Amino acid sequence: MKLSISIHWRRKETHYRLALTKCRACGRVSFGERKVCPYCGSKDVTTLIPSGTGTLLSYSVSYFRREGDEEFLPRITCLVKLDEGAIVPGELVDVDPDEVYIGMKVEAVLRRYSSDDPYGLIYYGLKFIPFLKG
Amino acid sequence: MPRPEERVGILGWGAYIPRFRVKAEEIARLWGFEPSVTKALWIEEKAVAAPDEDAVTMGWYAAKSAIKRAGIDPSLIGCAFVGTESKPYAVKPSATIIADALNISKVKLSTDMEFACRAGSEGLRLATSLVASGTIKYGLAIGSDTAQANPGDILELTAASGAAAYVVGPSEEAVASFEGMVTYITDTPDFWRRDCSKYPMHGEGFTGEPAYFHHIMTAVKLLMEELGLKPSDFDYAVFHQPNGKFPLKVGKRLGFTKDKILPGIVTPWIGNTYNASALLGLAKVLDSAKPGSRILVAPFGSGAGSDAYSIVVKDRIEEKRGLAPKVEDMLRRKKYIDYATYAKSRHMILRNV
Ligand SMILES: [Zn+2]
Repeated sequence: MKLSISIHWRRKETHYRLALTKCRACGRVSFGERKVCPYCGSKDVTTLIPSGTGTLLSYSVSYFRREGDEEFLPRITCLVKLDEGAIVPGELVDVDPDEVYIGMKVEAVLRRYSSDDPYGLIYYGLKFIPFLKG
Repeated sequence: MPRPEERVGILGWGAYIPRFRVKAEEIARLWGFEPSVTKALWIEEKAVAAPDEDAVTMGWYAAKSAIKRAGIDPSLIGCAFVGTESKPYAVKPSATIIADALNISKVKLSTDMEFACRAGSEGLRLATSLVASGTIKYGLAIGSDTAQANPGDILELTAASGAAAYVVGPSEEAVASFEGMVTYITDTPDFWRRDCSKYPMHGEGFTGEPAYFHHIMTAVKLLMEELGLKPSDFDYAVFHQPNGKFPLKVGKRLGFTKDKILPGIVTPWIGNTYNASALLGLAKVLDSAKPGSRILVAPFGSGAGSDAYSIVVKDRIEEKRGLAPKVEDMLRRKKYIDYATYAKSRHMILRNV
């Protein structure tokens, strides 16, 4: 899948560090860096960098083929509830589809999202793996 | 006069081993090696990075663990060095990607280093020197490789993926302190990879005696001479591990007993992780060594050179161990794959992309 160099770079804090928005008015945490709280509309928000650990809320195993995606199939796309409260979309790797279960503890790790092969940019960002003991 | 490195120590260490393993006998069978070759080299299986992993992603994980154990604010880290011979870009630093993704200070020295398998160790020496000189307070050094080997080459039995990282800083804050470090280097034609070539080559007669054994033995003897120490003064001895046999052999020749070498051995179960090899061995020892233990570490890189470090473990280490996955945890986390999956995972299958 072809990504945009500029969009990926602008969202680096979200891709690299799962940047969240914490609302000072209602106290809720939302995914991504935002100027307005999606829950109450307040502009009194601040960026929060989570620890990267959370729990698997939902997942889907996809065999959908897009050009450049073949070596990553099947993909497990997922929703993770971070320990800080926000629900974030992501990809679950380092686990076979039949080993995945709702409620599984996961942690965010830096991986390749895609790359403009053979000579283009490599896009890095966080994915999730089953939590490693530590 | 005290040595500058005595002012510096390891604050945190981190390891990463990918989940996939391919059996050495599977590789040997495919390419028609004489079956006893895996025993002769003492290689059982090797770790293989997933298709979305590379030296950057593995180095990131190891560095994250090292920073967690160090317990410092990453924005106080004044250098980030990545030693690798499998950098994802020929030109574009791996160090900047890892540093930004870990929120390490943007005001820092940062580069990718190349010296075959000892570039990560060179990074560790430089980070230590920067701390010792007072230029920076904390430094990060990473060794990370998705080691390449020409399919069918004897090196393919061992060339593997893994990473190790160290945060160094003032000795007062350290969990293990440096007593001394030396480096010995000569021009030796044992192993190389030319520009734009996918796989390395080796000068057959040179890999053992003139390269690995000569450089490690010279560096270790020099270190012991300078510090007035002998093999019996060390509790552990960790060497670069191109296979399982070489570290035992070089240790024996230097006068270290087998029980001091075995705790730092990782290669028979994960392969030669190149820049991570000796540094992962050290991480494994730090995962369990008692305070007061003295550790010898001797990384080696082809081309060729070897470092030798004397490191003494301090009391604070116990409270740091549980903060990140141990090497043993990662040795146990594994999924066996066949040669085809390994080939796909390491982008060895020719495709139109
Ligand atoms: Zn709100």
